[in-house]
Amino acid sequence: MYKTTGFISFVLRRVSGVALVIYLFMHMWVIGSINQGPEVFNARLNMVQTPVFKVLEVALLAAVVYHGLDGIRLLIIHQFKVTDYRKSMFYAVFVVSALLVIAGGLPIIIFMLEGN
Amino acid sequence: MKTFWIQRISAVALIFFMTIHMIVVHYPPFHIDFSRITERMAQPLWQAIDIAFLFFVLLHALAGAYVVLTDVERFNRGKRILAGAAMVIGIFAFIYGVQTILAFGKWLAAGA
Amino acid sequence: MGNDMKTATVRVQRFNPDVDKKPYLDTFQVSLENNPTLLDALQLIKTTIDGSVTFRKSCRHAICGSCAMNVNGRNLLVCHQPLRKHLNNKGEVTIKPLPYLPIIKDLVVDRTAFWEQYLRVKPWLVPPPDIPEKEFRVTPEEVAALHNAETCIMCGACYSACSVVGMTKEYIGPHALLKSFLRVIDPRDTILTERLTDVSQGDGVARCHTIFNCIDACPKGLDPTRAIETLRHLSRKRQALEKERQERQKTLVMEEAKR
Repeated sequence: MYKTTGFISFVLRRVSGVALVIYLFMHMWVIGSINQGPEVFNARLNMVQTPVFKVLEVALLAAVVYHGLDGIRLLIIHQFKVTDYRKSMFYAVFVVSALLVIAGGLPIIIFMLEGN
Repeated sequence: MKTFWIQRISAVALIFFMTIHMIVVHYPPFHIDFSRITERMAQPLWQAIDIAFLFFVLLHALAGAYVVLTDVERFNRGKRILAGAAMVIGIFAFIYGVQTILAFGKWLAAGA
Repeated sequence: MGNDMKTATVRVQRFNPDVDKKPYLDTFQVSLENNPTLLDALQLIKTTIDGSVTFRKSCRHAICGSCAMNVNGRNLLVCHQPLRKHLNNKGEVTIKPLPYLPIIKDLVVDRTAFWEQYLRVKPWLVPPPDIPEKEFRVTPEEVAALHNAETCIMCGACYSACSVVGMTKEYIGPHALLKSFLRVIDPRDTILTERLTDVSQGDGVARCHTIFNCIDACPKGLDPTRAIETLRHLSRKRQALEKERQERQKTLVMEEAKR
């Protein structure tokens, strides 16, 4: 195994990507219950609004944010000659993702703890 | 190489759609309820946006899964089967998704 | 890393396919007198401690590309790296063969895949049929553009650092793509379309996931990723480039004919 920042970002990109593919189909299954009527839909929605799923939601947010920002980083690398800044770009993506996940995740957790 | 460009183009589209999706659907992160969703989903513009979002997200997800698998030598031998499976899954998921998106409007019209 | 250290602990990965089931680490003490390079240390071990330690080496001047190895998890040429520089706080260094490649013995790996992929991109120049008596007229700018790729010594450090190569040996690899890039941008080359078509196949530039291990590993400071990015861009406008190349080659020879 050849471990570098590039390798770590590659693994994170793949893992978050595969997780998002799995989530996408679960998401379609939950939302798709509307085809069976509002009662089924609301029941299924309530099922996924429990504390466990709220925590998973923060993980989902992290996956979306990281995968998206890393994708933007790749698009920049494809378009401009910036391979010399590869390390700083990797850290930038990491820091910005962390900040966004905290900013987005805290309200979810606080909201959950308040139990509304 | 085709898959590569599919990924890049859908990625750009997703940056746009995902931002809209995250802001409109998930903020503020309060309890999600049927009536809240139906109002928005009944509008033709939102339906169009969501169908386009669905299209790109499926494209990106399935092409991504295909690339992840074919990067492994063993799976790359069956890449035609994988590509075919991805297309079939994609078409069915797209039809199901569109049906779902349009269903919200129907329920609102029915007075649910 | 104290400079007052007198000896270093060199851990070498050993593997003899006739005897061993799995590779293991062997430990040797090497004197730091005369500030040896990593290769000197290996040579010292071979001549004074254990003659069976096997490794490739040749020129000792970082130009033959024989002695690429994995030192403390990084691929490099052991001949131009001082041993002292790679010691940790305890005065240890770990030398392993290049990763992701089959081990023949100890630090010697099987580079068949490396060379097969290299030949796949037709690494040689295919010049126009009417070769001038003297030389081609190439501008200094055109020569300078080749610089990123032409100093490659084929050591395999980038190839075996590549995570994609670790997953599939069907990938052409950074070394061969860099060579293809060198030929593609060379104004004397005549099979530009063919080259760009080859590298834009499924196992070519699309397999690169911009992990940058190749840049980090290259002992010559080359940038295969940038070459791959350039190939990606060029392969989209093959036809225009082919026309441009044909025009350029008219002047390559015409200027010569005028003289």
